[in-house]
Amino acid sequence: MSNEPRFLIVDDFSTMRRIIRNLLKEIGFNNAEEAEDGVVALNLLKNGKFDFIVSDINMPNMDGFALLKNVRADENLKGIPFLMVTAEAKKEDIVSAAQNGANGYIVKPFTKATLEEKVQKIMQKHS
Amino acid sequence: MGHSEVSPLQNVLVTEDAIVAPLSEVRVWGDMSHFELRDAASGSGPGPTDRGTLAPIGDERRPPGESHAPEDFYHRIGQLTRTLHDAMRELGYHEHLADARDNLPDARDRLAYIARLTGDAAEKVLNSVDRARSLQDEISQRAQALRTRWAAVAAYTAGGGRATPAGAALVEETCEFLATLGSQAELTNAILTEIMMAQDFHDLTGQVIRKVVHLAQTLEEQLVKLLIDANQGEVRRKVEAEGLEGPLVNGEDRSDVVADQAGVDALLASLGF
Repeated sequence: MSNEPRFLIVDDFSTMRRIIRNLLKEIGFNNAEEAEDGVVALNLLKNGKFDFIVSDINMPNMDGFALLKNVRADENLKGIPFLMVTAEAKKEDIVSAAQNGANGYIVKPFTKATLEEKVQKIMQKHS
Repeated sequence: MGHSEVSPLQNVLVTEDAIVAPLSEVRVWGDMSHFELRDAASGSGPGPTDRGTLAPIGDERRPPGESHAPEDFYHRIGQLTRTLHDAMRELGYHEHLADARDNLPDARDRLAYIARLTGDAAEKVLNSVDRARSLQDEISQRAQALRTRWAAVAAYTAGGGRATPAGAALVEETCEFLATLGSQAELTNAILTEIMMAQDFHDLTGQVIRKVVHLAQTLEEQLVKLLIDANQGEVRRKVEAEGLEGPLVNGEDRSDVVADQAGVDALLASLGF
């Protein structure tokens, strides 16, 4: 069984999910699943093992903040690193994400180097 | 004797000095008849030190028994709204509002159309990037395999093996070319990554479009309410939305158009073309 970390990419835009997936592959992480909103993501998280969550904020049904709160409130999921990747650059959102337990916050548009830096930094802290 | 007035919309006390102040400093909203007059000298209004100032309506100096109940406030707002509606009807603005209301769904469809087209375009580019990257990887791998074999031939010719001068030069040149392919593949992959990253415009513009669509929807709902209020007791004229010229954006919902090229072909075929 592969011990390669398994990522969950949550974004309502398929283009962005695909971009993040490809970037992760370039960085060296080939194991990733996708979800189009927080509801689908939470379902996947409860039915499979994931090591890292990369999530947007603005999504239908359940947004990134609600997903984060649900993850942190779940005994089995609360330890999973959670990286916000969003177009929301409002300070209150960034603060709120941090206060609710996000491990990182990237504002779109972003670069491959930024994603790589944040992911590696978070992984080092959790290793 | 000083007077003070209570502006129903600004929630402030306006003293006598403020009333006689230059127009640029005092703005009065709504019907002056709704203002309440109070006597400052009798102690029921602001004192001498407050002359010419604006004080909050919740000020503790408000005389007892004076009515500022929320119902009264809403009643005044209702009167103002009624007046506004009447004015709109008399001036014919409700027809312009109706036109605006009827065009909003079309505007929303067009924005959704833009979002869909840009999304499709971004997906096509990503598909092409994936194919190009796959081909690039295959070329790199084959070049690496050939490079190993040609390196053996180069070692043979350099060691005095049988080779014409032209053959030896060709071997050397081929080895150099194969060696550069690795770095060129890296560069090409970096370019492909840039092209891929540029497709994030779909996400960013899509979010903006989504917000504008939501705004248009809210505006439309408000306009509908406004029109219903402004046309009470009348049969409202149903204005046909005038479609703007341009590409088809919601063909599946219309019976007078075809949805795609297959529809065009089927229609022409049914006509014998």
